[in-house]
Amino acid sequence: MSTLMIATLMGLYYWFARLRLGYTFSGMLLQPVVIAVFVGMITGEMQVAMVVGAGMQLVYLGVTSTPGGNVPSDPALAACIALPIAVKTGMDVNLAIALAIPFGVIGVFVDQLRRTINAAWVHMADKHAENCNIAGIFRCAFLWPALMGLVIRFPVVFAANYFGQSVVQRFLAFMPQWLTHAFALMGGILPALGFAITIMVIGKKTLIPYFVAGFFAVLYLKIDIMAIAIFGTCIAFLIRGFGKSEEARS
Amino acid sequence: MNTNLTEQEVLPTQPASLLTKGDITRAWLIYYLGAELSNSYERLQSLIFCASMAPVLKKLYPKKEEQSAALTRHLNFFNTEGVMGGVIQGVAIAMEEQKTQGEPISDSSIIGIKTGLMGALAGVGDSIIWAALMPLLIALFIPFAVSGSPMGGIAPLVLYTGITMAISYSLCHKGYQLGRESIVSLLQGGKIKELIYGANVLGLIMMGGLAASYVKLTTPLKLSFLKGSVIEVQKVLDSIVPGLLPLAAVFAIYFYMQKKGPRYTVILLSVVVFSLVCSITGIL
Repeated sequence: MSTLMIATLMGLYYWFARLRLGYTFSGMLLQPVVIAVFVGMITGEMQVAMVVGAGMQLVYLGVTSTPGGNVPSDPALAACIALPIAVKTGMDVNLAIALAIPFGVIGVFVDQLRRTINAAWVHMADKHAENCNIAGIFRCAFLWPALMGLVIRFPVVFAANYFGQSVVQRFLAFMPQWLTHAFALMGGILPALGFAITIMVIGKKTLIPYFVAGFFAVLYLKIDIMAIAIFGTCIAFLIRGFGKSEEARS
Repeated sequence: MNTNLTEQEVLPTQPASLLTKGDITRAWLIYYLGAELSNSYERLQSLIFCASMAPVLKKLYPKKEEQSAALTRHLNFFNTEGVMGGVIQGVAIAMEEQKTQGEPISDSSIIGIKTGLMGALAGVGDSIIWAALMPLLIALFIPFAVSGSPMGGIAPLVLYTGITMAISYSLCHKGYQLGRESIVSLLQGGKIKELIYGANVLGLIMMGGLAASYVKLTTPLKLSFLKGSVIEVQKVLDSIVPGLLPLAAVFAIYFYMQKKGPRYTVILLSVVVFSLVCSITGIL
């Protein structure tokens, strides 16, 4: 598929996912592993897209939303721009992650802009409520925010994908060895951020030993993630009664 | 006001019930679809809550003045976690219906119960639905993604959507049937706390396991103290405890956030600078 076509489709995907149509459905559409499936389909390189997507996902694992719905960092914008470019230029995973990060930060501002503008529709709806104009309320709740989203979200992803690829290619051509290694380091360290955020979000200091237990279970016992899930579920059930007294104290 | 309402008396099986099961389902679906769509800084989810109630209110209040008052009432500030929020919607519908049936329910008590429940349910929902279930499902299928299979993305998408929609749907109907009394007692009971606790334990074990596989940090440093004897730092570290550097990285970031709050941008930039410095100096 041509760069123009990919840029257009990625722009539309980002708009649709960030539209948040379907509360939890869209929440998952915003995750890099899911975006990777879409990138894999339109570029025809599913294998590569999934591998890079998995790497990006680990950085943003705990980044869902903070109370009040603020986006701390936008994994979807990061992935919608960095994933297709990475797949097209054959960049390695670590480099792709490093490329994704600045876009994740930009995404925060885009969302702040959206939620500021959205206040206008509430005021409009106030008037509709007075006149019992239910169709009007629905337009304020769905149509206007959706159109607004298209205006503020599509161009960012489209432009970055359309112009980004050649810029990135030129940059890759003369990247020094120390910089490549620095990117590899970043790619190795950044997943730590994803896990740290998840521990933060769960927010119970007394439970940290379970994290450490899971960590060393893999290193010493060499078990895979499905096994961890099974044993973890059993442990969660076993300590249920214990948890009750723990909660009562905190 | 009769505070001794039993569940039986509140059950919508009373002959006067105006609403069908389909009405409740439709309200739930509208809320599920648009919970975050029109979210604004000013009143957050108030717009979608009003929109989701609108068809029900239209049915309950044929008179224009009453209907517009009801619509305005539900445009009040509202925000919660959208899956657990289904309960609030069910309760609000039940209260509006009881009001039309002549129960002494004031406007402020409807707004009150909504604002009273939304904080508690947001806490429950954020910690189960978003902090535990979502990373868990993604984590479970990450090995597929790492090996290049689209299952790594498709499975979490389908499972997460399916599970949360089922929870939210049944919570909304439950809220409508049981009314506010039992929801409050349910929230205060131990069951939900147990569930959160268990989900958090499982979540942390999974995250620990994943961290061990995917945080990669080793040092190529070699120290030579005496002539000829070279100590490879990484080998020494591994012989003490494997995975020391990755674990240190996770907790360094964690403790920073504990102290300074979730400043992702600062952390990201620090990692970039740290990597550049370590790469140039050859420490890592």
